Amino acid sequence: MRNDTERNPSSRSGPGGKEGPMGGRGGGEEEHRGGRGGGFGRRRVCRFCAEKNLAVDYKDQAMLKYFVTERGKIIPRRISGNCAKHQRQVAVAIKRARGLALIPYIVLAG
Amino acid sequence: MAEKQAPARLREYETVFLVKPDLTDDQVDRIKDKVRGVVSREGGKLIRFTVWGKKRTMYPIAKHPRAIYVHGHYLGSSALVAEVERNLRNIDDVTRYLSVKLAHEVDPESRPVLEDLRMAGDVDEKAPPGERAAERAVEDREESVTEIDEEPAEEA
Ligand SMILES: [Zn+2]
Repeated sequence: MRNDTERNPSSRSGPGGKEGPMGGRGGGEEEHRGGRGGGFGRRRVCRFCAEKNLAVDYKDQAMLKYFVTERGKIIPRRISGNCAKHQRQVAVAIKRARGLALIPYIVLAG
Repeated sequence: MAEKQAPARLREYETVFLVKPDLTDDQVDRIKDKVRGVVSREGGKLIRFTVWGKKRTMYPIAKHPRAIYVHGHYLGSSALVAEVERNLRNIDDVTRYLSVKLAHEVDPESRPVLEDLRMAGDVDEKAPPGERAAERAVEDREESVTEIDEEPAEEA
């Protein structure tokens, strides 16, 4: 199994290249890239688009946790796989949830 | 002519507010009643209060590590929201509030008043350890990272 180490997203064309233009995501084609193509568990499809009855909700801290790093930063959609629309909603939800202390603004190094 | 009168349409809002964790249930109920009074006075309709209970906050609020979360769901005008927030601001035991519009035009008849709910609050913060470990591995960008929490759709 060919593994990462040499396809470093920052030096090579990176994840943008293989994801292709946003429009052309038709089926859930499951191409296999060993290694870290996009760092952490990247998704190819927006999970909110894939699952219609799943809504973005600032009150759902368990769901929002998937979209922030351990440090509490918002994960970019190139990595989370969210579409633009849902990434916007997620970003707003995260900010609301932070204000209510449901998720942290920042997690200091442990 | 009965057709002509448009039914009053209201907006649907929710307000979440945090109160200090040392309040008794009675004191929380008093705050709820106060908000309820404001909503009815301003021509709104209070659908339901849900007390989420005492939860650990992710950072200290008013020097407390926990807070009691209360969620209010109601119909009304934007003036009502302003009035609700003004009242919450004036209560010293309320430390945070957030109001969000849920829907633009709602027929109040279509939304029955529901019974208030009370939830248990913190169900201890411990996430299942496996999940924690997975998250950390992802964050560290270990070479072993493959797909986290995706269906095992490997066909290799
Ligand atoms: Zn989407």
